[in-house]
Amino acid sequence: MALKTLTRSARTQTYKPVPVTPPPGPVKRFVSAVVPPVIMGLLLIGLYAWVRSQLPPHRLFLMPSAQGLWEQAFSKPEVLQELWERSLVTISIAVCGLAVSIPLGMAIGIVMFRFHVMERAVFPYLVALQSIPILAIIPLIQSALGFGFLPKVLIVALFTFFAVPTTLLLGLKSQDPGILNLFRLQGAGWRKMLWKAGLPSAAPALFAGFRISTSMAIIGAVTSELFFLAGKGGLGQMLINAKTEFKYEQMYAALIASSALSIGIFLIFTWVGNLLFSSWHESASRRG
Amino acid sequence: MNALVEQSEPSVEIALQFDAVSMEFPDGTIALDEVDLTVERGEFVSVVGPSGCGKSTLLKLASGLETHTGGEIHVDRSHLGYTFQDATLMPWRTVLPNVELLMELRGVPAEERRRIAMEQIALVGLEGFEDHYPKRLSGGMKMRASLARSLALEPNVFMFDEPFGALDEITRERLNDELIELYLRKGFTGLFITHSIPEAVYLSSRVVVMSRRPGRIIAEYDVPFEWPRTPELRYDPEFTRLAGEISVALRKALEG
Ligand SMILES: Nc1ncnc2c1ncn2[C@@H]1O[C@H](COP(=O)(O)OP(=O)(O)OP(=O)(O)O)[C@@H](O)[C@H]1O
Ligand SMILES: [Mg+2]
Repeated sequence: MALKTLTRSARTQTYKPVPVTPPPGPVKRFVSAVVPPVIMGLLLIGLYAWVRSQLPPHRLFLMPSAQGLWEQAFSKPEVLQELWERSLVTISIAVCGLAVSIPLGMAIGIVMFRFHVMERAVFPYLVALQSIPILAIIPLIQSALGFGFLPKVLIVALFTFFAVPTTLLLGLKSQDPGILNLFRLQGAGWRKMLWKAGLPSAAPALFAGFRISTSMAIIGAVTSELFFLAGKGGLGQMLINAKTEFKYEQMYAALIASSALSIGIFLIFTWVGNLLFSSWHESASRRG
Repeated sequence: MNALVEQSEPSVEIALQFDAVSMEFPDGTIALDEVDLTVERGEFVSVVGPSGCGKSTLLKLASGLETHTGGEIHVDRSHLGYTFQDATLMPWRTVLPNVELLMELRGVPAEERRRIAMEQIALVGLEGFEDHYPKRLSGGMKMRASLARSLALEPNVFMFDEPFGALDEITRERLNDELIELYLRKGFTGLFITHSIPEAVYLSSRVVVMSRRPGRIIAEYDVPFEWPRTPELRYDPEFTRLAGEISVALRKALEG
C-alpha cells in the first residue's frame, strides 16, 4: 500500500456528542416492569366489560361479571372447598403423568445422544407424535384403557413428553468439546462423561424443557377430564359439571383456578431454575 | 562400550519423540508430513508456524486425542499435562472442583485431591478464589485455574496449545513469567505452541519452525539465555536478533 498518498479525509457530516445516562434505578425499573402489564390487563378487562355490555340480556350468563363471580363462586366456602379438592386431583394427575414422561423422555434423550443411529431412528417419530392432535386420540385411549386414573395419566404423559428429550438432546449436543477432550485424555468412559459433564452442562436447557412440560401437564390433566366424568374428578370435570348445571360463574372459577395452577407451576420452575443456574449460567442470570 | 550400545542408550533422556509422523485426516487433509521432532527431558520447546499448518494436530497426536496415520510417536502418556487455547473450565463448578477434575477422573481420594488442588491453586496465585465460578474470573485467572488443573497431575510432559493467545499483552507477559517459574520449580518437559515469536523465544530452550500445511519442521533455533528469565530480556539486542531471525524463517515458511 502506498502510505504516502494517504491524506486525512475531510469529513463533511457534522456529528456531536449526545448525553448518555446511566440505567434507571430500582424504583424506575420496577415501575417500568409493572405498569405496562397492568395497563394491558385493565384494557383487557375493559374490553371484556364492553363486549359484555353489548350482549342481549338472555346471553349475559356467558360472561359473568366480577360481582357474579364473587357472589356465586369465590365468596362461597363450599365452592372454594370444591376448587381446592379438585385442584388436588388435577395436580395428582399432572404429577403422575410427569412421573412417566420426564424419566422416559430423559432416557430417550440420552439414548438418542449416545447412539447417533437412534437419534435418526427416533427423532422423526418424536416430531410425528408431537403433531398428533392429542384431543383426537383421547376417545381411542378411552376405548383401550377405560375410564380410570391410568388413561388420564397417559394423556398427560403424551401432552408433556415432547419437550423433555428434545431439550435434553439439544443441551447434550451443545457441550463444550474441550471439556470432553479432558475426559478422553484421562480415559473416562461415556457414563462418566454423561454424568459429570453432559448432564450438568445440559441441565439449564433440560430445565427449560421441564418448565414447558410441567405447565403443559395441568392443561393435559384438565383436558383429559373433560372426557372422563365418572368418579370424583379434578377441575376439568368441574368445568363440565358447572356447565351442565348452568353455573357459569363456577365454570369460570374452575377455569381461573386451572390457569392459576399452570402459571404457578411455571413461576415456581422459573424461580427454581434461577436459583440453580444463575450462579454459573450466562442466560439464566437475568430474568426475562 | 561399543558403538551399538551407545546408539540404543543415548546420554540424554528423551521425553517425547516424533519419528517421521504423518497425519492424514479421514477427509484427505494431510496435516503433517513426516515430522521429526525430539524433545529431551527437561527441555522447553516452542513450536511456531503458519496458521493451519498442523501445530495443534501435533499435540493431539502426542496426547492420543487423534491417531496418527504414519510414523512413530514415543511418549509416556501417564502423566501428561495439556492446556488448550480456551481454559475449558466447567462453568457449573467453582475453581476448586474444577482444579480437582482430572484427579477425580483418575480416582484420587477426595481428601488428597482437595489438598493437592489447594496447593496448585496457591501456586498459580488463585488463593481466595476457590469458590468463584469461572463466569466471575478474568481471562488470565481462568487460564491460571486451567494450568493448576493440569499441574495437579504432576505432569512429566506438559503441552500447551496457544494457552495465552486470547489474553492481553500485559497479562500474557505476566503469565509467561509465572509459567517459567512453574517450569523451573516442577521440572517438567514443555512443548508450547504459540503465534508469538517473542513469547516462544522468551519461554523456550529451543524454538521449532513449521512449514505451511502439510506441516513439517523446517528450522530449529537454540535459545541461549539463562534461566530464570526476566522481562528486561525482551529488550536485549541478542533477543531481538534471534526473534528477527525466526521471524524471517516464518515468513519464508508462509511463502512456501
Ligand atoms: N478433524 C479434522 N478433519 C479434517 N481436517 C482437519 C481436522 N482437524 C484439523 N484439520 C486440518 O488440519 C490442518 C491442521 O490443523 P491444526 O488445527 O493442527 O492447525 P494449527 O497449526 O493448530 O492451526 P492454528 O494455528 O490456526 O491453530 C488444518 O488445515 C485443518 O483444517
Ligand atoms: Mg491450533
